[in-house]
Amino acid sequence: MKKLISTLYGMLMSAFLAVALVPTQAFSDETCMSPYMAKIVGQEDYVYVWTLGQVGVGDEQDKLVTISVNPNSPYYGQVIGHISVGGRNEAHHSGFTDDRHYLWAATLDTSKIFIFDVHTNPNKPKLHKVITDFVKASGGIVGPHTTYALPGRMMISGLSNNQDFGGRTALVEYTNDGTYVATYHMPHDENLYGATKTGQIADGYGYDVRALPRRNVMITSSFTGWNNYMMNLGKLMGDSEAMKRFGNTVVVWDLHSRKPKKVFDVPGAPLEIRCAWGSQNNYCFTTTALTSQIWLIYEKDGEWNTESVATIGDPAKIPLPVDISITADDKHLWVNTWNDGMTRVFDISNPHNAKEVYTHKIGDQVNMLSQSWDGKRVYFTSSLLANWDKADGPEKMPQFFKAYHYKDGKLEQQFAIDFLKEKLGLPHQMRFGAYSLYAKSPKDGAKVAELSK
Amino acid sequence: MLRRVLLLLVIPLAVTAQEVTYDNSVLAPGWTSLTFTPPSPSSYTLASFTPAKDGDVINQLEEATSLHDLYDDKVTLLNFMYTTCTDINGCPLATAVFHKIQQKLSKDPEIGKKVRLLSLSFDPKNDTPDIMKLYGAGTEKHLVDWQFITTKNADVLDPILDGYQQRIIKEYDDEGNYIGSISHILRVFLIDEEKQVRNIYSVSFLHADLIINDIKTLLDPNTKNGTLVAAADTSSKLDAVKSQTSKLSKPGDNKDGYYDSDYESASKSLHRAGKPADLYTMATTKQLGLPEPKFPEGTELTPKKIELGRKLFFDRRLSHTDTISCAICHVPEMGFAHNELATAVGTEGRSVPRNAPTVVNAGFLSRFFHDARENSLEDQVWGPLLAHNEMANPSPGYLLNKIRAIPDYDGLFEDAYGVGPNMDSLSRALAAYQYALVSGNSPFDKWYYNGESNAISKSAKRGFEIFSGKGNCMACHLVNEEYALFTDEKLHNTGIGFKSSMYVEPPRKKVVLAPGIEVDVDTSVYANDSAFRDEIMPNDLGLYLITQDPNDRWKIRTPQLRNVELSGPYMHNGQLSTLKEVVEFYNQGGVTEVGKMKNETISPLIFPLNLTENEVNDLVEFLKTLTGSNMDTLVLDAFAAPVGDVSLKDPNWFHDNKLKY
Repeated sequence: MKKLISTLYGMLMSAFLAVALVPTQAFSDETCMSPYMAKIVGQEDYVYVWTLGQVGVGDEQDKLVTISVNPNSPYYGQVIGHISVGGRNEAHHSGFTDDRHYLWAATLDTSKIFIFDVHTNPNKPKLHKVITDFVKASGGIVGPHTTYALPGRMMISGLSNNQDFGGRTALVEYTNDGTYVATYHMPHDENLYGATKTGQIADGYGYDVRALPRRNVMITSSFTGWNNYMMNLGKLMGDSEAMKRFGNTVVVWDLHSRKPKKVFDVPGAPLEIRCAWGSQNNYCFTTTALTSQIWLIYEKDGEWNTESVATIGDPAKIPLPVDISITADDKHLWVNTWNDGMTRVFDISNPHNAKEVYTHKIGDQVNMLSQSWDGKRVYFTSSLLANWDKADGPEKMPQFFKAYHYKDGKLEQQFAIDFLKEKLGLPHQMRFGAYSLYAKSPKDGAKVAELSK
Repeated sequence: MLRRVLLLLVIPLAVTAQEVTYDNSVLAPGWTSLTFTPPSPSSYTLASFTPAKDGDVINQLEEATSLHDLYDDKVTLLNFMYTTCTDINGCPLATAVFHKIQQKLSKDPEIGKKVRLLSLSFDPKNDTPDIMKLYGAGTEKHLVDWQFITTKNADVLDPILDGYQQRIIKEYDDEGNYIGSISHILRVFLIDEEKQVRNIYSVSFLHADLIINDIKTLLDPNTKNGTLVAAADTSSKLDAVKSQTSKLSKPGDNKDGYYDSDYESASKSLHRAGKPADLYTMATTKQLGLPEPKFPEGTELTPKKIELGRKLFFDRRLSHTDTISCAICHVPEMGFAHNELATAVGTEGRSVPRNAPTVVNAGFLSRFFHDARENSLEDQVWGPLLAHNEMANPSPGYLLNKIRAIPDYDGLFEDAYGVGPNMDSLSRALAAYQYALVSGNSPFDKWYYNGESNAISKSAKRGFEIFSGKGNCMACHLVNEEYALFTDEKLHNTGIGFKSSMYVEPPRKKVVLAPGIEVDVDTSVYANDSAFRDEIMPNDLGLYLITQDPNDRWKIRTPQLRNVELSGPYMHNGQLSTLKEVVEFYNQGGVTEVGKMKNETISPLIFPLNLTENEVNDLVEFLKTLTGSNMDTLVLDAFAAPVGDVSLKDPNWFHDNKLKY
């Protein structure tokens, strides 16, 4: 290729012209990654499953399990490795840094964050660093949940605190190299930190965090504290005091200044937040675990609002909506309901009126789902929380990873891995890995590099 | 010109052929006007989070210098680029944004003279100082200094890239030839006058207006230090609390009225101001209504012992997984009990079948645990520390070794007890703090023992009449002539444990899911849940578990009643939420049968009381007069106690400090 040497001014003139010609269009994502990071738009090679250790199962400790999912690999459908991290820490969610070189895997019980190097050998992640002093560094925040990539940094949502193990908590920011930066407390009645309490509740609870940088907006949801998420579910359902300690709020923040702007009443534990991709689609969705509603968080005339836009299943049966995933074209929202093991697809073409268009039973219980960038492949795992999970079910495989193809509006199972039979534990969060991210196999994209290794 | 534009578009597409896309098909906001109003300067702060790394560089005049020299006394914006970069949202974006900043701030000399822009090439082979000079031609005429710098070679550059975590991938064609482009994640660094990184911008954030506001925020003396969110200072308000009822004894996450649809939250800050109290004097001074302070033989309290005990009480590192301290279940602002759980939750979430009792005034007792299995405060310490479903330490030796290896305990045991941590000194220290958690001088005490007739209401006085008469409460909750502990320390079967043991869950039950939202839940839906790693059991046989005597089934120790208003929910299993429910439970004569099962060992002291509604209310009013006058002092003192969380110096297999085996 001919080398171009440009001057700054020449470059600027060209660039400004080019800007005028480049259409503004949506970019998409595997499922729910931060918009700041590199994405796999083709076939993913691996799924990394952040897995909870289980007493009596294998080595009993939390581990990152690597599954080969590229059909071109002779190991397709198999567990190709795992790395144990010591202890049962209530492994939960994980997220890549913006350069996608490291996977931060957080834990809700001991509040440790395990940082895996996934770029040196995408087929063999390595434990790079462990943040053991998250609670002390953050000033008492317990239960790091979402690890969400911002430029050079990670925004981490807490679930609890070291004073009462309840739900009052904060967002905590770290640099990519694991240095603590700051703690931003969730707004609560005693101190709203400048936010407007739009309803009756400002509980100060936390759960997920997502950003819409084009609107300078960050959004958080609210679950519950250590006492409840660590407690046996049957015991919890019978404890009327504990049942009062669930989050009922969504907060819209100024992303740049990290200041809360509006606190909304969203009753019944709003969990995952997924924002639309379209450049004009200034809205996000969340679902309430206890009250089984889909809520829309949207901007209209420069103001942010919330409204319930659908009911999920029969709320009296507490189906417990858990993970959700928005398709690249913003037309569909996948919703897993843990308690009945169903996945449900809602048509969200009109975001103010979501309609269920497809349901499929995945297993005895189902928690997380991850879809490929093109929406053709969908993966599911079963575990929600160690002390909430079912012991067994009619399908006799309570803990699984299942891979599906999604074609013509239907799921077709490709393979399943029984995580208890394989002595691995309880599978939770999934993240995708690929050689192409690191230009590790640039010469022949058709072959999986684990062969040439 | 058109051809160059086309090239600009083609190159990013070539990158996506590698199945990876950086979002270069979207126009970065830096090219246009912001579509939102950015936060105004100094209305926020930027945390200082990492020192900006140094490195040897060469400027466009071919002079050797260093990054730190260039950062000196300026607010610096640093971007990494290469001159042949054409990705519309890569280096050209950063250059365009720098250009805008240079133009705007050059018109604002007070700010502009304190700012420097740096463009550092990560292609030293091609981007020689000559090339950099050519690239930057024209920028030197502006007030804001903009330097175009490069490095001698890759050996000098690589540590800089590493220091700023700039990952670069050189791009090759199918034959393996370098095509001249470098794939990288765009990052621009804002560095303050102290050489600390204060912000990092990527494509989505890189906008001149945002950055200029950040620069102004860093140059404003009021916001340049970037403090964390300020703690709400409530100390003055708290000091003013003089009321007899403890104002501070409420969960910070108070949910009073939660079942009403018009419920309003009253959530408090996690920042709370504490105030150390003179615990030694409190422990050693007789308080109205309480016995003379008396300690087991060989106990000589000192302030150091109490302080060490307090540190231990709030130390989460005393549990096997570094999660649970004593104070996690005996929460100071919840009456040193737990208002938010009927029964406690232990290590790894394991189920504890019983309610956490208050530890206030425990020093006056001679029997401990709901089943009275221990008989000294010192000995009971090891129960929770070792219980698998509480703090779960594998052995006393393990825990003592761990405490010996925690640097912030260095010398503290030796100072207080003359020996290091051992089973005796650890239990004595934890007991010492609890000996100081003494709370008498309640309104009842002032009325009953001091003759202050206005200390309690008429209703409460009527309530005491019932307590000591028709209600028969004093048969177990004793009141002496000189003092009252409100307990006979004996064990009785009231029927509450019997009921739990014989209880069959109904097919449906009402559950409140959110304020004003109640559902009738099919209980079989959760019948199969959460059987892993747990030992949940609905029945609790009380004293029988200790003696194995069938006559002792469901017998539970009589609890003291001081501060009872603060320590709900009630009974050994937390099954009753309010004091009124408790009084009504006794008014109906406890539980004598469930279905066809008779409660054979129910205490003869339990029988239907035939109290009227007014009498029930009076009795509740009386119970509310038992709150000690110093509870807020004790709570404030607890707020001032350090919470022991894992630090990098503590023993842990990830740390240098490992326990040796």
